[in-house]
Amino acid sequence: MATTTTTQGSEVQGHGAHADHGHAGHGRELQHHFETAQQQKEAATLGMWVFLVTELMLFGGIFMAYTVYRWAFPDIWAEAAHHLNTPLGALNTVVLLVSSLTVALAVNAAEEGRKQRLIRLLGVTMVLGVAFLGIKGYEYSEKFAHCAGYETPIAWATSGAPLGETECLVPGRAFVFPAAHGEAAADAHHEVTPGQSSPYQLFYLLYFIATGLHAVHMLIGLSIVGMLTFMAARGVFTSVYSTPVEIGGLYWHLIDIIWVFLFPLFYLVH
Amino acid sequence: MAEHSNTMPGTDGHAAASDHHSHGHIGRDTYYRVFAALMVLMVLTVGAWWIEGFMEIPRVLGVLIAMAIASSKTVLIIYYFMHIKISNRVTQLYAAAAFIGLAILFIIVMGDYFARGWPPSSGPLP
Repeated sequence: MATTTTTQGSEVQGHGAHADHGHAGHGRELQHHFETAQQQKEAATLGMWVFLVTELMLFGGIFMAYTVYRWAFPDIWAEAAHHLNTPLGALNTVVLLVSSLTVALAVNAAEEGRKQRLIRLLGVTMVLGVAFLGIKGYEYSEKFAHCAGYETPIAWATSGAPLGETECLVPGRAFVFPAAHGEAAADAHHEVTPGQSSPYQLFYLLYFIATGLHAVHMLIGLSIVGMLTFMAARGVFTSVYSTPVEIGGLYWHLIDIIWVFLFPLFYLVH
Repeated sequence: MAEHSNTMPGTDGHAAASDHHSHGHIGRDTYYRVFAALMVLMVLTVGAWWIEGFMEIPRVLGVLIAMAIASSKTVLIIYYFMHIKISNRVTQLYAAAAFIGLAILFIIVMGDYFARGWPPSSGPLP
């Protein structure tokens, strides 16, 4: 690569330089500004990590706000968290951990150039991702159904059984924390949360922001895995080139890590 | 030399280290074992929460246990699933930098809150 003024292809191979855009000495996937495939892969991986660090800082801000307010209102946190659906949260944790395994195995399959296994594993990952969002969506709709005065989302849709006591845990004007629980704690902290009709709102605000942003990342992750499946089916990945699967997998694992912290912080509070 | 000069300073001419980084490989068995460990930790964190429901232990301790387990899971995922074990030094540095950045964020912000008398029950906020 000493002489850059002449056509690169003519340096590598005498003829057919225009037809292969100078990729004659190596595979098509190696870009001209990299010297080796290894260097290209390391650059791509590092770039992805730089992005992942910014993602961690984004969620870090939310965790920061969580820390500040949980430190101030531990009693409110303990009562508010009991109204979240812990079994579904635990199930979602398992779903995400399994999906992380399938992604890790998919990256392994891509490295070994096993196309069918790669497509199958990416497919399973997407099914698990959709399952996670389905369960999360059900949890959300349960909270909204309570605001509408129904026991479950199904009852809401079919105008079924009404909710016994008034409860609305979606932050906003209609927010009502069930009166039977923890009035004393609420009164004790009322004056330190100006502008809020109920201090419990703070917990649910952080819950909806954190899990909502996480769900948005799941949607992005799903489209990335979908794209990777499409590319895999078209035979883009070989045993010498599977970098997109590798860095797409990094993104998926990051989403998993965020949930690993969200789960105990919101669902497992005493 | 030319192969690694841009991304791996310091390992030039060090055949063993260079080989380790560029051809490192994590086998499927390791992935299954890491997954099993993650599931055990997941059961542990729910189990600890369940037991804490019957016990009178300081709240801070419960949070510390949950965060310790979550951190262990994170380390396993980053080290094995995210291939930090076999990544080059610069990538490892970036992964570590994320947590150093988070530590700075938490230490400075919480330090400021404590200096101003947080939680507010111990006095009004300035």
